[in-house]
Parts: sequence; C-alpha cells; structure tokens
Amino acid sequence: MLRNYFKIAFRNLWRNKLYSFINIAGLAMGIAAFILILQYVSFEKSVNGFHRNIATTYRLLNENPKGETWPQVEPGWAQKAKERFPEIKAYCRFEEGVGQGIVRRTTENAEPFRETNVGYAEGNFFEFFSFNLLEGNAAAFKKPNVVFLSKAAVKKYFGKDEPIGQSLILYNQFGKATYTVNGVYEIPVNSDIRYDMVFSLETLSNPANLNDNDWAQLDNLSSQYINTYFQINETADYKKLEQKLNTLRNELKKDKDGLVFRLQPFANVHLPASFSDNYQTTGNLKYVYILSIIAILILVIAWFNYINLSTANALKRANEVGVRKVVGASRGSLVLQFLGESVLVNMISFGLALLIVQLLQPLFNTIIEKELAFTSLLSTPAWVAGLGLLIVGSLLSGAYTAYSLSGFNPVETLKGKLVKTNKAVVLRKSLVVFQFSISIGLLLVTAFIYRQLNYMQHKSLGVNTDQLLVIRGPQVDKDSTYKQRRTAFINALAQQSFVKDYSLSGSVPGNGYNFATSGFSQPGSRKGDELKSFSFALIDDRYLNTYEIGLKAGRTFTQPETMVEWNDNDKVLMNEKAIEELGFKSAEEALNTKVQWDERKLQVIGVVKNYHHVGLQKAIDPIIFYPQSNSAYFTVRLQTDRIKDNVAQMETLFKSYFRNNPFEYFFADENFNKQYISEQQYSKLFTTASVWAIVIACLGLFALATYTVEARTKEIGVRKVLGANVFTIARLLSKDFLQLVFIAFVIAVPVVWYTMYRWLENFAYKVQLSWWVFAAAGIVAIGIALLTISFQAMKAAFANPVKSLRTE
Amino acid sequence: MIKITNLEKYYRTEEVETVALNKLSFEVKEGEFVAVMGPSGCGKSTLLNIVGLLDDPDGGSFLFNGIEVAGFNERKRADLRKHNIGFVFQSFNLIDELTVFENVELPLIYTGVKAADRKVRVEEVLDKMQIMHRRNHYPQQLSGGQQQRVAVARAVVNNPKLILADEPTGNLDSSNGNEVMQLLTDLNEQGTTIIMVTHSEHDAKYSHRIIRMLDGQTVTENILV
Ligand SMILES: Nc1ncnc2c1ncn2[C@@H]1O[C@H](COP(=O)(O)OP(=O)(O)OP(=O)(O)O)[C@@H](O)[C@H]1O
Ligand SMILES: [Mg+2]
Repeated sequence: MLRNYFKIAFRNLWRNKLYSFINIAGLAMGIAAFILILQYVSFEKSVNGFHRNIATTYRLLNENPKGETWPQVEPGWAQKAKERFPEIKAYCRFEEGVGQGIVRRTTENAEPFRETNVGYAEGNFFEFFSFNLLEGNAAAFKKPNVVFLSKAAVKKYFGKDEPIGQSLILYNQFGKATYTVNGVYEIPVNSDIRYDMVFSLETLSNPANLNDNDWAQLDNLSSQYINTYFQINETADYKKLEQKLNTLRNELKKDKDGLVFRLQPFANVHLPASFSDNYQTTGNLKYVYILSIIAILILVIAWFNYINLSTANALKRANEVGVRKVVGASRGSLVLQFLGESVLVNMISFGLALLIVQLLQPLFNTIIEKELAFTSLLSTPAWVAGLGLLIVGSLLSGAYTAYSLSGFNPVETLKGKLVKTNKAVVLRKSLVVFQFSISIGLLLVTAFIYRQLNYMQHKSLGVNTDQLLVIRGPQVDKDSTYKQRRTAFINALAQQSFVKDYSLSGSVPGNGYNFATSGFSQPGSRKGDELKSFSFALIDDRYLNTYEIGLKAGRTFTQPETMVEWNDNDKVLMNEKAIEELGFKSAEEALNTKVQWDERKLQVIGVVKNYHHVGLQKAIDPIIFYPQSNSAYFTVRLQTDRIKDNVAQMETLFKSYFRNNPFEYFFADENFNKQYISEQQYSKLFTTASVWAIVIACLGLFALATYTVEARTKEIGVRKVLGANVFTIARLLSKDFLQLVFIAFVIAVPVVWYTMYRWLENFAYKVQLSWWVFAAAGIVAIGIALLTISFQAMKAAFANPVKSLRTE
Repeated sequence: MIKITNLEKYYRTEEVETVALNKLSFEVKEGEFVAVMGPSGCGKSTLLNIVGLLDDPDGGSFLFNGIEVAGFNERKRADLRKHNIGFVFQSFNLIDELTVFENVELPLIYTGVKAADRKVRVEEVLDKMQIMHRRNHYPQQLSGGQQQRVAVARAVVNNPKLILADEPTGNLDSSNGNEVMQLLTDLNEQGTTIIMVTHSEHDAKYSHRIIRMLDGQTVTENILV
C-alpha cells in the first residue's frame, strides 16, 4: 500500500513537471532561508555559552539616572568588593581600548603593526574564563610584562618561529614596554571576548609603567575604564550583592555622580533575556528577532504556495480521488496517501534546501557579517525547535491538502464537474493576499531603509569630506626629537604639489570626539546648565579650512595659539549648537562674554557653523574646539587623480620621519560612512529577504495562473469564437490576480508605515514616509505580478480556439 | 438481493429543488441482469449511485441483502461497497498515473489482499479480459475498448456479487460495445448480478429485464427472458 502511494506520488510529480518544480523549488527556497537564519539565531544564542562558570558569573555595569548602562567601571571596586563580600569567589578585570597601540618584535627592522583589538587583563584571566590554552599555563599570566597571543597573532609576528619566550614591544599611551610571550590561546568563534593579544594587567600596578597616567591606577575609584566580572557562590543572590555594592559605592565615592551599579548575568551579556532588559549587550536581540520573523514569514510564504498549488492541482486529482473511493478507498487511506505525497515533496525540498544553503552560505555570511557554517546550527538546542517547526509546518500544510483532497464526493468528481467550493477559493485567495502582503511589506521596508541610508550618505554634512585623506599620527618613538620631526614632516608634506591643504587634529569627523565634559556656564545661564555635556575636539589653526567648515562669526585659531600649554589656554571656538546650549542669543553675544569652565574663564573667539561630526543618527552635539597641535590625525586635502602614487609618496615621507610606525590612512568620506554599517546591514538583509520572498510568491502566482488558464481553456476558446480579442482575454485572466495583489498592498501599507515610523525615530535626520514611495512599491509589485501572470494569460489568449475546444 | 421502496432523492441548488428520484420502487434478485432505460435526466445515474452506495437517499427504504442501508454513514457504505459491488462507467475512469495492472490491482489493495495473492488474481482476470499483454501499459496508450475491458476487469477482480454499469458502451463503437456486452453477459452467467443503465435498445436486449424510468419513477418493466 505504502509502495503504491509513493509510486503514484512520484509519477504525479513527474507528470506535472512544472507544478512539481515550482512547488519543490518554492519550498526549498523557503526552507533554505529558514536554515540559514536558524544558523544565525543558534550562533547568537550560543555566544559565551562555552564558559564553564557562566551561570555564576556577573558583569558589573554603571547605570546613570537615564537608565543607560555601560560596562566601563573604576578599577578599584573589584578588590574592595571581594574583601567586603564573601559571596564573591573571584573577580577578573580587563579593558578594551585603553591598551591599544603599536606592537613590534624586538628584532632589528621588525615590522610594526597597529593593534586595536588588544588589552590588559587580570592575572587570572585564563582561569576565570574558559579559553583554550595551546601553549603555556594559565598561572604564567599573573606576572607583570607578560603577553599571551592568539594563534593569528603568533603567525603575524613570529611566522613559524616558536613564540614562547620571545619578546614584543608595545607602544601605547603608557609609553614603551617590553612583554614576554608566555602563552598561546585559542578563542572560539562564539566568544564576545576576542583579543588578538592580551597583556598582563599586573604590569600597570607598577606606577613606573603608567607614564604619568595616574587615572589608570588599578586601585582608583574615579576613572571608568575597565570591565569587571565577578564569580559568586552558587547559593548567593546577585540582586542582594548588587545592593551591597551600591551601599559600598555610596560609602566610598566622594563625588556623587548619580550613578548606580548593576550586576548583569554573564549569560545575558550577549543577548538580553528579554526586550524589557535594557542593559548594554554585545549582541543585538532586535536583529535576532527581525531575522527570525523574516525566516518564518518566508517559510510561511513557501508553505502557502504548497497549499495553493496542491489544492489547485486537485482539479486534476479529483478524478483519481473519485475512482479510488469507488473501488473502496476510505477517506483515511486517501489522507494517508496525500500526506505521503507531501512528505515526499517536503523531503525532496529539504534535500534541495541543504544544497542551496551550501551555495548561499558565503553570500549570507557577508550579509550578516558572521562566519557561520552548517555546524553553527548545532551549537544550541535552537535547531531542535527549528527542525520541529519545519516538520510541524510541513505536516500541517500536507494535512490541510490531504484533508481537502480526500473530501471530494466521488459522485460529483466522476461526473467531471468538480464543484469549486467557495470555501476553497476564498482560502486560496487569502493565502495569495497574505503572501503578497509580506512580499510588498518587505519591499517597502527595503525601500525606506535604502532611502534613509542614501539620505544619510548624501546629505550635506557642513564639512567637505571629498578628497580628504587622513593619516593616523605616529605613536612610537615620541621622544624629544618628535616635535621637530613632526614639523619637518608637515613642511615636507605641504611642499607636495598634490597637497592642497592639511591639518593636525585630535579628532576627525566620523571618529567621535576627544572627550565630553560638563561644568560650563556664563552669566546668563540658568541653574543646571553646568550639568550639560559638551564635546571636545582638539584642532589646529588649519582644521576649519582643510575640512571646509564654515565660520559664522569671529575667527579661527592662529598658529601660535595652538602651541599654548593646555592649562594656559583661554581661547576656544564653539559651534552654533554649543552657544545655543549655553543660553547665548547670538554669536556676537557669545564673542563678547566670557564662559566659565569650572575654575577657568574661556573666551569664545569664533562661532563655527553647525556641521556633522558624527553620523546622522545623532543630532548635532554642542562642540567646543580647543586649540592644540595634536597629532592623532594628519588630514590632507588632495588635488590629484593619481591617488595611489601619491599615497605611496606620502608613505615614504612618513616612514622617513617616523621609522618604527605603521603608515595607516583612510579616506574621510569612507570613514564617515562606516557609521552607517548597521543601516547598510539592514539594507542588505531586507533587500535579500524581499527578493527571496517575492521570487517564492511569484513562483506560486505563476503556477496558479497556469492552473487558472488550464481550467478556463474551454471558456477562453468559446469567448474567442464569439469574438473576444487578445487584450480582453488577457485582461479577464489577469484581473482577479491583480485584485489580490492590490488588496495585499492595501494591507501592507499601514503595517509598514507604522514599522518604519518607529524605525525612523532612531534618526535625528530622516527621510519622509512619502506617499509616492508607497505608490511606487505598489506599482512595482503589481508590475511584477502582471509580468508573472501575463505569460500564461498571453499564451491562452493567443492560443488557437479550435484546438482548445477540441481537447474537451 | 436489492429491494427498494419509495426511494427519494432531491438536489437542492440555491434557487431550485430538483426531484431526481420520486418514490421509486423496484427489486432485483440475485443473478439477474437488469437494464435501466429512460430519457436523459430521468434519474438513472442517481439511482445507480444510490444502489452502489456512493450516495445517500433522502427518503424511502433500501434493503441490500436484507439489510437496511439507507442512512448508513460513509464509512459503513464504503465497507459494504468494496466487498460487494463493482462499477463500470461510460468514461472508463481509470487512473492515468497507474498501469493497467495497477489499476486492476487497486480494489484488492483497499480490501487488504496480500501482494502475492493480488498478482495471481489480477493476472487471472486480465487473462479473462484478454488484456494481459497490455498489463504494463498506461490507460492513455490503450484504445477505448481496451480501456473499458480494463475497467470491467477492475470491477470484477474482487468477485463482487453486484456489478453496476452506467452506459458502459456509451463511448465505444459497436464492435467494442458488443465485446463489452459479451463480457457482462458472461459474468452474469457465472452468477454475478448486473444492473446496467443504457440508452441503447440493442444493449438492453442482453439483459433479462428492462426497467423504464421517467421523471424519477419507474414506468414499465419489460421481461425479456
Ligand atoms: N449534483 C446535482 N445537483 C443538482 N441536480 C442534479 C445533480 N445531479 C443530478 N441532478 C439532477 O437530477 C436529475 C437526474 O439526474 P441523473 O444524472 O440521474 O440523470 P440520468 O438519467 O442519468 O441522465 P443521463 O441519461 O443524461 O445520464 C437531473 O434533472 C439532474 O439535473
Ligand atoms: Mg446518467
């Protein structure tokens, strides 16, 4: 019996090749998208899960009154808390960013590299966390001036040489220091902590190694720069510990800053437990949800195709059902038969889906910017749920078709007039509407994300980032000759014919500010104004010119003004937003009033026109420009069409003055647009998802159109004989479908409008939800649908009526 | 074998109610060969479907081998049907995706006959219908007469006591038609009861008795034998 079912299932698939192809291809595409996304979800859920003590480990966060949290805390708390609270078994501190600098081997002429993904970590780092040590032992990290390397770093610095016992020099804000390589580790892909190399924090406990950076002292309670993790007793209540930590904070913290401590379970550091959990995370729960929803929607579109095609195909199968019933088939056995067919179709589709997954993996990985593989699926039990969903969905869609097909009344089917029940037709139409609502919705979302991205990338920034090349300033060998060499380099650079302008600055647009601080007031300020935060940019006399940033009033700095010592300077520039925040009515008023900054008095010598120093997600910040010959960045405005050669020339020049430094540069416009990576990622994701959904939905539409045309062949023949022309017939056949697509459009619009309205709230500068975008997307969708249908409609309309009438 | 009294069947569409069978009564004894005739739309097929337990009457009594089956649910009807009744249709109604052998085998599968026994029985009846050489062909590859012989083979493979034929020669030329009529006559001689709907006086002559219908009722009966 079973064999008989499979046999007939196979023959049916084979006989209706187009139908089978569309059905299987659509399902396979849906399942493939689902598997790919399931990989991502599994991966995200698995992050950090490999740490053996994750369940009893907590991260310390600072929280401000606004509810914003961040993991950089003062380094002194950890030890104080451990002494005070016995439930703390251990703590581990590590910083990310403070230690970055330039690293090279000690050998003569060794190549230097800038390392941004490095840091200082507690001596117990390799005991506290569960990283795999390939060489060396965990205890060796407790000593000062020790470095452990990732496998990649070993290869980069030592090639095939044995790294253990070798030395590396690190140049960073703490000066120059030599570290001995004592260990090699391996970090799993699903780890949030991703150091390329890690230096022993113990090094910084020696004041001599701080290079006068007193803020970094390991017992201080005033500089927030380090991550602190606690391991606590299994029986301890972390919420109680959190309270105790806050009591400790209030007791020891002299300047009341309004912050409180929070303990965040390590398990929630990557993805929060829920959306109501607002602590800072390293992963993006929203993205996980959006992708999951897209996966399920695409799968549902594919299943609806399956249901629609199978029930439409029933017109052909009706006779078979009738005959089987007449010769004795019970409804149950027919249900089983059709279920068997659906299992077969689903299995073939699943196999094909695996193939598609293999093929699309690289593309998908670039879209979501993760290194995923099929094995990512198995990293958490999420795949069990996913597979379960797949099976349940396949069975349900199969069960529905089986149920409806097996219900045919043999008396009617054998008469050859299968009464098209209204119920079935309404259902089929609803499914098509649903499929197209999703497709059109995704299309619209894509359009708006794309428009917003495009807007941000092309809106005038108030600064000209074209042809601007930025070289990272040197960090190595900043000795007594440094200032001299720097001047010589700048002068040599200025001589080059391709250099139109240049500037030295501490920050550049797109890379944030040097710092932000508060405590400003002027005679006309209101109370509380001194709490307002202002961003600082350290610039030289040429910055505004080089970046082509406009001055609203006053003047910029002179060259001598940029040489004044930090504390002796009393001249600043402010942007329009800053003087507005300070309560000045006009630029002139600002120029004529002294501004109080804590104990100091500052003269605003110029008001800078507002420009975008950071991405357009944020409103323009109040900025104070402070004069300094800071050499974090050399900016060069080029006038050339031989960029490659000129860059090589600049490198030679740079190397001749700053021998041990890497030559690193970027283009200001590209760098600025890096702030839109997340939007670009959304854009790519939604483009792919909408194309995918539309293709599946159109496959289904195409097949439905084919059936309709087949079912109406005779009618079309008669109409043609009676004088209908090709156009009338094509319109007759297309009308119903277009109606459905239009209804789908009407459903999609409000949903998308609301969603995009909420999304655009993330941006200070945003596009309008213009009606014409909706209209255009509607026209595109209807156009695609029309194209899909018209092939069949035209074929039918042009067919010879004599032929179609004879086949009856 | 069949005793029908005051049988009624209505069809209701949105506007009109059609009376397909109007208090119709008749009887068929085991071993009989009965022809049912009448103008188009008089209710012949409706009657046959009810006798064949494919459809349910709206009133009256239908005794099948002495058991009242009017009001049986679908499952019970299907059960009774697959062991007792074979069908032959005007349009053959073979399954296109199955071979001749598989089409004939189908009723045996649904009555749960073992594969080995099925093979023996299917081959036996294909032999009898002289269609054995076409056992692996698909219906589209056969002539109308051959297809109808396959359909007859399928109807008899389960050794039903009753065969119902609705215009079995309607789609055949006269020589193929005669061949099918001969097959039915042979089956009847071997003891199978046959009820056949036909428009052909010629075919009707093969039967023992002709029931003439008009507007859902029997009007006359001609006894031929
Ligand atoms: N499904 C149905 N719905 C509505 N009316 C029906 C249906 N089936 C049959 N009828 C009506 O019932 C009556 C009897 O139909 P039936 O098919 O039994 O006639 P018939 O004698 O077999 O005709 P023919 O010789 O043309 O095959 C007809 O008037 C027909 O229109
Ligand atoms: Mg009839």
